[in-house]
Amino acid sequence: MIALDCDEHFDTWRDQARVLLGHGIDPTEVVWAHGPVHDLLAVPAVLPQGPGPFRTRVPAALLDQLELAARYRGEQRWNLLYEVLWRVAHGDRTAMLAGDRLGSELQRRIKQVSREAHHLHAFVRFVPLPAALAEQLQLDLVAFHEPAHDILQSASGHFADRLGRQRWLIATPRDGIRFDGSTLDYRRHCPEQWRQWACHADDPGAELWRTYYRHTFNPARVNPDAMRQHMPGRFWRHLPEGPLIARLVGQARQGKQRDGQAQEVGQQGGKRIGRGDSPTR
Amino acid sequence: MQLIAKLGILADAAKYDASCASSGAPKRSSRGRDGLGATDGMGICHSYTPDGRCVSLLKVLLTNFCLYDCQYCVNRRSSNVPRARFTPEEVVRLTLDFYRRNCISGLFLSSGIIRSADYTMEQLIRVAQLLREQHNFRGYIHLKTIPDADPLLIEQAGRLADRLSVNIELPTEASLQRLAPEKQVRTIRQAMGTIHHGQQAVAGEVNAPRFTPAGQSTQMIVGADATDDHTILGNAESLYQGYGLRRVYYSAFSPIPDSPTSVPLAAPPLLREHRLYQADFLMRGYGYKAGELLGGAGNLALDIDPKLAWALANREVFPLDVNRAEPALLARIPGIGLRSVQRLVALRRERRIRYDDLIQLRCVLDKARPFIVTSDYRPPQSETRSGLLRERLREPQAPVQMGLWG
Ligand code: SF4
Repeated sequence: MIALDCDEHFDTWRDQARVLLGHGIDPTEVVWAHGPVHDLLAVPAVLPQGPGPFRTRVPAALLDQLELAARYRGEQRWNLLYEVLWRVAHGDRTAMLAGDRLGSELQRRIKQVSREAHHLHAFVRFVPLPAALAEQLQLDLVAFHEPAHDILQSASGHFADRLGRQRWLIATPRDGIRFDGSTLDYRRHCPEQWRQWACHADDPGAELWRTYYRHTFNPARVNPDAMRQHMPGRFWRHLPEGPLIARLVGQARQGKQRDGQAQEVGQQGGKRIGRGDSPTR
Repeated sequence: MQLIAKLGILADAAKYDASCASSGAPKRSSRGRDGLGATDGMGICHSYTPDGRCVSLLKVLLTNFCLYDCQYCVNRRSSNVPRARFTPEEVVRLTLDFYRRNCISGLFLSSGIIRSADYTMEQLIRVAQLLREQHNFRGYIHLKTIPDADPLLIEQAGRLADRLSVNIELPTEASLQRLAPEKQVRTIRQAMGTIHHGQQAVAGEVNAPRFTPAGQSTQMIVGADATDDHTILGNAESLYQGYGLRRVYYSAFSPIPDSPTSVPLAAPPLLREHRLYQADFLMRGYGYKAGELLGGAGNLALDIDPKLAWALANREVFPLDVNRAEPALLARIPGIGLRSVQRLVALRRERRIRYDDLIQLRCVLDKARPFIVTSDYRPPQSETRSGLLRERLREPQAPVQMGLWG
């Protein structure tokens, strides 16, 4: 059994996989793990030297797919990729297709990864720093986010497109990324200071957004299951609107209210308009 | 009045418009440039409210003062609601603030009619102009078009916005006359025509200035009057064909506070709305005709989806051999979506398709089983009666609405 550690780096894994493939080493004879392997039955062996005699070509699309799937955090993260590579290299292209058992797991992982990138684009919430602090830190916006897969580096360019010359950073429990208005600075291990800035930023302005959220909700259509399906609960605690959800559902469910208007609006005085009225500010 | 108080009133007043899409815009980026905002064709839902609807845009009215008296509308002049009006600068400020926070991907701005149709339209345009020209905002902008406004104003709006919409509101002329006496089908359709014409004028011209690149849309209110789904779908089909509409939205009528007696006080018909969206998707994505989905007067079935309904009514087409059938026909098998069709076609180039493959593809086999043949499966004779099948496949009725009233 060959035990390998690729330090969760796709490029390292790819180099290792290429050598293994060249020497015709079967997927069952190799295991990737992070740190020391505790399999007592495994007789440790080393990665052979040199490229090996077996030459093969795999479609470029396969490497792209493997790289995408490699961002998935989960069981057999690297072994699964090698098994797919092995089968395709030996002429069985179904290993990358969704109809196949292994291929469908590969495709599922790719889908989860792209979903998670989409979650990043959707649910990151930046807090604007006050002018003096922004000047001091050279940073306009900060955010804390907890992605389930390793998508921060590949998916964050999106925010440079959206935010122009604004300077921002996104901290996560693992990695972090910072943009100074022209260049992205990605860190595999998020500096503690970044995390502090992101987690402890004061945000009095968030009340406007929370007001909007409360009022765009239509209580006559309450359907929390549909909400949860699209916006998994694990994201709520980093959303400014997250703490409102339970109360809004509760109020709508009390059944006191059968129309779509928010209670706060109903409680204010109304105004009917005569034909000759002109609107005021 | 404070900005935050206005926001509460004017967001509350705008929520009855179903559309919140930010998709379909061309690629724009602010990387390394002054200003803010990007679009890439894909929409983003930045949040979901507890009604399960996507929040993609800041959806507000410029003002909920309105001279019209549309019976189904919370903002009609006879409605006893608090009123407010934003200045264009205030809308700009809110849009930019929410955008920087990554709470939205753009703005959907609409308005009650104040002073005149032209004046109101000019105010909407003013906001888009400030955003685009003064603040270099490259995010998504959707403007509601006031049907009676000067066509020149509509054209101006079309050059600033990604999307324009003119709401058809009610599916028939008679209903419109009864419930929205100040509106006319004729001017609504004229405004749609102006937008369509503007789109055609730049179609295929690479260097022409953009005109509503994310298309135009409309909304029909469902359940405020007695119109049936047959009329609604027929109407939608003619709008898709006649004006090249990108989307028709269906909005289940929600009872409004201080409701006039001319419109119902019942819970919004959410399941009916859902079936209409499914049927609409089948027309846009799968090539079904409105007449195929609903042959005569009446409503879509609530207990089964329209694709299954079509399959049950057309049993002579099935069972289909998934190893042989044309992709367009595969897509008509209940429980097999467009994505699965693509994957089946890719897989069958490599080898014959077995029943197990459909499981791996996560097709909904409960629905698909009676309608398919694979290399190792053929539906047993007993499954041939449509009535029985329907009994087995029907969905439990709308628990959502029970939850609210129970
Ligand atoms: S024109 Fe009719 S639908 Fe529009 S805001 Fe006024 S009353 Fe409502």
